[in-house]
Amino acid sequence: MEFGWSEGDRKFRQDLAKFLEEALPEDWEEVSKDGPGSDAQAAFSKEFSGKLAERGWLTQHWPSEYGGSDAPPWRHAILSEAMWACGEPRGPQYMNVNWIGPAIMEYGSEAQKSEHLSRISRGDVLWCQGFSEPNAGSDLVSLTTRAEPRGDDYLVNGQKIWTSYCQNADFCFLLVRTNPQERRHRGISVLLMPMDLAGVEVREIDAVIGDRYFHEVFLTDVVVPKSCRLGPENEGWAITSYALQFERVGAPRYARAALTVDLLAENAAAGGRLADPNLQEKLGHARALCEAARVLHYRVIDQRTHGLPPSADSNVARIAGTMADLAVGELALEIWGSESLVYGSVGDSNFRASMSAGIATGTTEVNLNLIAQRLLGLPRE
Amino acid sequence: MDFELNTDQTAILEAVETLLARQAGPERARELNAKGGYDAELDAALEAAGFTELVQGNDTGPLEATLVLEAVARHAGFVAYGATALVAPASGHTLAGPVALALAEENGPVRYGASARTLLIFDSQGVRMRPLEPGEAKPVRANFGYPMAWVPRDGGDRLSPDVALRMRAWSRVALAAEAAGTMKAALDFTIAYVKQRKQFGRAIGSFQALQHRLAQAAVQVEGSRWLAYEAAWSNAPNEAAAVAAAYAASATQRVFYETHQQNGAIGFTREHDLHVWSMRLQALRLEMEGVAGHQRAVSRARWIRAEA
Repeated sequence: MEFGWSEGDRKFRQDLAKFLEEALPEDWEEVSKDGPGSDAQAAFSKEFSGKLAERGWLTQHWPSEYGGSDAPPWRHAILSEAMWACGEPRGPQYMNVNWIGPAIMEYGSEAQKSEHLSRISRGDVLWCQGFSEPNAGSDLVSLTTRAEPRGDDYLVNGQKIWTSYCQNADFCFLLVRTNPQERRHRGISVLLMPMDLAGVEVREIDAVIGDRYFHEVFLTDVVVPKSCRLGPENEGWAITSYALQFERVGAPRYARAALTVDLLAENAAAGGRLADPNLQEKLGHARALCEAARVLHYRVIDQRTHGLPPSADSNVARIAGTMADLAVGELALEIWGSESLVYGSVGDSNFRASMSAGIATGTTEVNLNLIAQRLLGLPRE
Repeated sequence: MDFELNTDQTAILEAVETLLARQAGPERARELNAKGGYDAELDAALEAAGFTELVQGNDTGPLEATLVLEAVARHAGFVAYGATALVAPASGHTLAGPVALALAEENGPVRYGASARTLLIFDSQGVRMRPLEPGEAKPVRANFGYPMAWVPRDGGDRLSPDVALRMRAWSRVALAAEAAGTMKAALDFTIAYVKQRKQFGRAIGSFQALQHRLAQAAVQVEGSRWLAYEAAWSNAPNEAAAVAAAYAASATQRVFYETHQQNGAIGFTREHDLHVWSMRLQALRLEMEGVAGHQRAVSRARWIRAEA
């Protein structure tokens, strides 16, 4: 057991910080105020991710045969931390490199690999994730979007909801039911669906969490070639589980939360308020929550580095991250007081960024179920 | 960066687990609680096996001592291992053990005070080392799982402020590790209990309403443990030490509540093992300025950067 960074890791962090200084525009704060899903950030992400790709950093953790350089998981974790901390300039492309690419590597045909992996590793393609449906949220396996075989194609009908990033997406990692006779986990398949097909309609959902934050995707008689199916028919659940095991620690929200706490403290110091012991306690508490989330995320990265199978420790990390994020979001509102009520203000932006922490990529309750069953060995209800 | 134990660490932990399984545990704790004593035999066994010298060792250091401290706490050891083996070495002096810690500006009794031969008194200027003669400390009845005593807080040799700061940081790392081990044992005990306790025709541990709360507590226990290890490995930087203590001390509150709530009334009895660990959590929560004190120390270390 040791907790030091290698010389190479330290240098990478420095190089990255230097790169960010140059690569982020002057008005980055304005560009990033609505999160990685906004039009502004989606557009910027293609330019930015391209630059990361040129330096070999975008998919460095991928195997070299797919455009990576076999870098250890730690390198990618350092990159993810730096990216989230500054508001995710990769936009939605963090999903591509975290789990969509790896899922295609594992289950994709040669044609799919060559079509998608090269584009992802160049940084010029946007994906969205078509999972949730109006009646399939936490209970995702009850999804009903139907894909019926029609010769070489599927005819897809159904509706997805809470979809982020889809208004600008080129492709959707779409979960569909290919066998309506099979219930639950069986009978689900994954389609790598181009978003420009006829019958795909995206509607923004008006939401307090932010503009362009999430959407409904209506699928009406969409003809999707069977060659777009990822992996075997009806095996989509295994593929999704494989993909998502990467995602619980894929977005290090604690990094942004930690940076926000620093900002809050600097702001308080500038206003001469940092001598207030009560404020010191709140800031110290928030910092401790961020640090716990960080060390628990690191533990999962370490397990991956050792080639250990995924465990409930990733759910533990996720809960710690959520706790940090929510506490910091509330503190951000509190510290700037009524100024936070202005849309786009620092307090407001940070609060809105924190709001989805306990819901996106698996709710707190689902994560707690998995910890209770897999880590604590408690019986299912 | 490597979260797995290396061969030496595995060997140390296996050896100390074996020793503790034989010489510590809830039965022994219950016995010592009743007579208000100190486990001099366990202390001697730990010393004979070299566990009290890990910080000064050639191939070992504070991380190994922290791993041992967490184990001692899990087994409810009645020894001042943290103050003696982890905090005292930072003084640069060889102090007669057991060592106890006190704050000058507080009046309450301190853990292991009556058995300590050296008292470290932290005050606003730093720290003083004060030998304790037999009879100087007065044992007092307390219900919080440790032998407690009133101690004199006058006199003693003052160490330099820098050294005092280092010792304060180590006291926070020790507190975090001790809290982590104690919480882990209380939680594990509770998990075993809710798996076998049946009400409404089923194990109460099958109710999601209870599961979620235990799972939340488990997150905090794990966070405390890893923050303590990381701070120990990094040589107790002021900020990391305060972060570990702030997080762990705050977690004790929730773990105490959940473990007692889910054990029900039997959890308050002395025949049931829970209290051996749970009551200690409250003593740890208050120690060395308590949760709020550690939180303020985080702020000072990170954003004010004066003394922490």
